[in-house]
Amino acid sequence: MAHKVLAIDDEAGFTRLLKMNLEKDGLYEVRVENDSNIALKAALEFMPDVILLDLVMPGMDGGDVSALFQTKPQLKDIPIIMLTALISQGETSEDAVALAGGNPVLPKPVKLDTLIACIEEVLKGSAAS
Amino acid sequence: MQEISRNKKVPKNVANVSDGSYLQTVIDNLPVALFAKDAGDDFRFVLWNKEQERVTTIPREKALGKVDSQIFSAEIAEYFRDVDRAVVKRGKKVVIAEEIIDTDEGGEIYLKTVKVPIRDEERDRTLLVGISEDITERVEAREQLKKLNENLFEKNKELESTQMQLIQAAKMESIGRLAAGVAHEVKNPLAMLLMGVEYLDSGIDPDDENIEIILNEMREAIERADDIVRGLVDFSSDRQLAKEETELESLINHILLLTRHELTRSSVSVKTTFDKNLPTALLDSRKFEQVMINLILNAIHAMKDIKSRKISINVSKEEIEEASLDVGARTARKFRLGDTVIHIDLKDNGTGISNEDIEKVFDPFFTTKSTGVGTGLGLSVVRKIVELHGGEISIRNRILKKGAHVRITLVAPRSL
Repeated sequence: MAHKVLAIDDEAGFTRLLKMNLEKDGLYEVRVENDSNIALKAALEFMPDVILLDLVMPGMDGGDVSALFQTKPQLKDIPIIMLTALISQGETSEDAVALAGGNPVLPKPVKLDTLIACIEEVLKGSAAS
Repeated sequence: MQEISRNKKVPKNVANVSDGSYLQTVIDNLPVALFAKDAGDDFRFVLWNKEQERVTTIPREKALGKVDSQIFSAEIAEYFRDVDRAVVKRGKKVVIAEEIIDTDEGGEIYLKTVKVPIRDEERDRTLLVGISEDITERVEAREQLKKLNENLFEKNKELESTQMQLIQAAKMESIGRLAAGVAHEVKNPLAMLLMGVEYLDSGIDPDDENIEIILNEMREAIERADDIVRGLVDFSSDRQLAKEETELESLINHILLLTRHELTRSSVSVKTTFDKNLPTALLDSRKFEQVMINLILNAIHAMKDIKSRKISINVSKEEIEEASLDVGARTARKFRLGDTVIHIDLKDNGTGISNEDIEKVFDPFFTTKSTGVGTGLGLSVVRKIVELHGGEISIRNRILKKGAHVRITLVAPRSL
């Protein structure tokens, strides 16, 4: 069965293409939410296996969303991967890492195989726990 | 008048009008220096009041009956003689705004003197009367002011240059903020483009080989744009460095491995030499890799028209002794006496840098490469990183051979 991925990012063009790429081989089922303020509702309805979360968004930012999800027993164990344009490949911006609150951070632009490898990694981790 | 003189005590130094010596008393108590010379008798002094004694530090009895040359230096005496003759000849008052006389104590006194020729018909002689005002304090104050003014001028110049530096720093700060904002805004569309390319990549038409080429070009273009944005942010922000004690020999060998592809492709031979017992350096090795890769790529680029292409990298240590401190230069402040510094010298045998360009190589956006080959941020970022490590970088043309010589100097961690 395809793993459920919730992508929360205010960039609609990016999430549309992301959804196409991830669903292409039938490995994932992707739901997109471009408004971070209603991300909680989307997460509770969809109950994803993994969440892709943008860091810089209008309204609630990625850090806020992640903190909010931590307060919900149904969501707190779902792994989150932060996607951000704040840092570049191979570097760690302290701001981004602090905001990510311990979640893995992938810099944008991100290659599809890097993203899939990261999703599989966190899924393995959550399955083990 | 009589009432007053009867009822009031007369101060000692006020002349008794009736005894006839009052004129001498008045003259002596004048707040100006007064003297007179007899023009008909070789300008001998005939009058010399108390203030004149004080100002010149020459007592009356040493001056009266003498000529200038007997009491002043030959040079001053000659000057006075010339002025005196001219005054008598003109028959009119002359004002000498400023004149200098030497004192017995070896000091100098500045005077403003008025000289008046007075005809004494009764005795048939011409007197030259001089009234001098001691303006030494005023002149000294003026000189002091002049010095202060010069000082102020210097300080002002310094201030102006500091202000320029501050403006430059402020500019860099705003570029930094702008760069961080732009980086975020540019990376998002780049992310979108990459996602698009990735999608198209999975459904390539096997009959059209161009599509794969086009998609690869697009992928490279996205990477290049991402690199430029990262360079801009690197250049303009004071990022935290993750410094660790690093063995330079292994780091440089690792960097050569990273650039092996470029070096082999351009047929460049590399020779490295390392001093024995090199100290470790405190480095952010990722950032330092960026520095060395940049320099190596620049060297390769500079040698593209040369047949036998060679790069040499030499790492040496030096104890900073007094003699090697460049006094007054920035080196003196960066490296302290007794420090051990590590020099990394990278030389190529390329075309070198024109004199016109050598001043500008560290400026952001300065480039000699065509669009797409270099962003012009390379060396400015390199310098920034070296400076963040507390080090220095210099670049010059080699003296005996053709090519450029880059030297990075880092201080070895000070032992506690």
